[in-house]
Amino acid sequence: MKIADCGLQIADCKKIPLSQIDLADETFSVNFGADLRRLRSSIGEIGLIEPALLREKPEGYQIVCGFRRVSILRELGDVEVESRVFGEKEVDPFKLFTISLHENLTTRGFNAVEKAVALDKLVHHFQMDRRSVIKTFLPLFSLETNEKILDTFLVLARMEDELKRYVLEEEVSRSNIRLFSTFKSEDRMAILSLVLSLKLSENRLREVLTFLHEIAQRDRLDVKEVVHRPEINAILFEKELTPSQKTERIRKILWDLRYPRMHLAEKEFEKKRRVLSLPPGMSLHHSPFFEGEKLRVEFQFETLEEYRSALEALSPLADKKEFQEMMESQAEGRGHRAERRAHRVQNKTTL
Amino acid sequence: MVPSQIQKIYLDEEAEEDGAAKDLLKGLPGIPVERIQDKRALIREFSSMADPIGTGKKILFVTRFYGRRLKICPGTSHHLCCGYHVINTVTNCPMDCSYCVLQGYLNNPFLTLYTNWDDLLHEIEGFLAGNSGSLVRLGTGELSDSLALDSIFPLSKVLVPFFAERENAILELKTKSVQIDQLLNLGHRGKTVISWSLNPARMIEEEEVGTSSLKERIDAAAKCQEKGYLLGFHFDPMIHHEGWEEGYREAVHSLFNRVDPKSVIWISLGGFRYPTQLKAIAKERFPQTRVFLGELFPGRDGKFRYLSEIRVEMYRKVAGWLREVDPGLFVYLCMESREVWEKVFGWAPESSRHLSQLFEERVKEFVSITRRLQR
Repeated sequence: MKIADCGLQIADCKKIPLSQIDLADETFSVNFGADLRRLRSSIGEIGLIEPALLREKPEGYQIVCGFRRVSILRELGDVEVESRVFGEKEVDPFKLFTISLHENLTTRGFNAVEKAVALDKLVHHFQMDRRSVIKTFLPLFSLETNEKILDTFLVLARMEDELKRYVLEEEVSRSNIRLFSTFKSEDRMAILSLVLSLKLSENRLREVLTFLHEIAQRDRLDVKEVVHRPEINAILFEKELTPSQKTERIRKILWDLRYPRMHLAEKEFEKKRRVLSLPPGMSLHHSPFFEGEKLRVEFQFETLEEYRSALEALSPLADKKEFQEMMESQAEGRGHRAERRAHRVQNKTTL
Repeated sequence: MVPSQIQKIYLDEEAEEDGAAKDLLKGLPGIPVERIQDKRALIREFSSMADPIGTGKKILFVTRFYGRRLKICPGTSHHLCCGYHVINTVTNCPMDCSYCVLQGYLNNPFLTLYTNWDDLLHEIEGFLAGNSGSLVRLGTGELSDSLALDSIFPLSKVLVPFFAERENAILELKTKSVQIDQLLNLGHRGKTVISWSLNPARMIEEEEVGTSSLKERIDAAAKCQEKGYLLGFHFDPMIHHEGWEEGYREAVHSLFNRVDPKSVIWISLGGFRYPTQLKAIAKERFPQTRVFLGELFPGRDGKFRYLSEIRVEMYRKVAGWLREVDPGLFVYLCMESREVWEKVFGWAPESSRHLSQLFEERVKEFVSITRRLQR
């Protein structure tokens, strides 16, 4: 949208005292997480290149475009700023906001949070129809045009500043943003205190968020009660562990909490496997997720000798009492077959 | 129940002259009707909405089906299947169970009614003629609830008499509704099974939105039993939850307080299982659902299932209670592995074909008993 298309008379630039500009009025601002170092250095060196856009109001001026520039000038001790000024009733505020968005898009672009803030203002402050926002503004922000995307950014806009910073720094995906939005604010802050200490990929973050949510929901707890469990705190405060190590240990704790019977089944299997004292380089595995009764032995070899040696080491396994017991318990279900048949009424109990 | 939820009807111009379409529109005066030619554009438009599934449940799409509507139940790999055949008469369901796999399965969001009934009967006739040596079981409840829309789309009035005259087939109408009034005076000749999916009352209330209550379903079953219908029951999906044991025991107890087990041709038990993509969709639509809180892991067919020891525990309990009611009840596991069959019952069918044969024997035995009683 061109300013000229708004039917506006673009005033000549004039110098406006900074003291008359209301920096607290963020009606047209979508700034978040700005890194002002380069801009500060540039303004400090060569001054302001592009005038600010202001709008008159009864007690001074509000900024339409140029929050960062004005803020830096104030920091640098300047007393006035080169500006173009719109009269209070000259332009519809929504049009001014649109001008501001376009201006910023072309000069610096928006990060995810700024897009969220912009969309939130369009819907809630300027009361724009959602369908129009989807059709007109999502493409402007290079976003897909659907309600789910709009809703994702709207919830992001309402999140806590700390979480917004985390979203930007870690480039959190939209699906994880949606996951974060399912928590209450205080639970989100508790989760943040946890994830800031960990090294989480996108998938790991999703997993942690999902586990926390599901454990809390299943056990009817607040998420923060799960986060602050002693065993989790113990890991977080363990100075000798790297973030990656903390991540793996906490992930394991959450897994075990989420799947207690699986955890028990794994523990039982591990106990049995340990007593087998398998030769080095050999491993014994149950079927994936204990679905089925098959066991799997793995070993590696490079030469025929190594192969023979492995088979020789494996062979005595069948005679080990512990291995036989393991095989018997695997077949426990099948083993009852004969017993049940004896009691089964012909063609009656099941089929 | 159903008509009040319908907000719009899209009518495919090609279906306009079908009797079923005309009767449907007559039965829903006041519902706006829009004639369309290109259903793909319509589906595309709705699919970009926030909740196309929920929105689609308020919209009827009346059209014809070109192609085969009768096929073997897709079942699942690496597990025993029973050789059931499914007939696609309606796509999508007006009910909204949080765990429904249709949420992740269908790309057409509307309640789609296929009005070319003559073609359907012709197809079934051809299939039965080609399988004259077997006794086949066919059902309409794969992609929808068999009876939920029957009050406005009364296909049962056509199918039940049709199957009554067929010697080598039995029809199953599977439902969570109590839309049975139109069935009560039909001449079924014992060739139609009316079956209900069952769960504990609390589970139904919390997770099976828009369905009839457990009591309502049981009462409806009792009415159908009085009219001589064969009955079936499906504890499927069984959900492992806090208080599951008490819930399922109470459900079994409530059922057989009203229903005579002698009319029950089969009862299935099936643990909750779902394809990967379902969870995200269901949780978005039902944020408070608790069905995914159990210990569910990928099975050999890729579907998520409870840890097998949990499934075995649940099946053993329920099968035990059913045995106490009547040791002659025909109880089977749906889409389960041989290992689980063996752990629950002490034996397993040799193969899916074997299971299908056992069904055939059961149906033959049951149908002949029913006929003797009717003489």
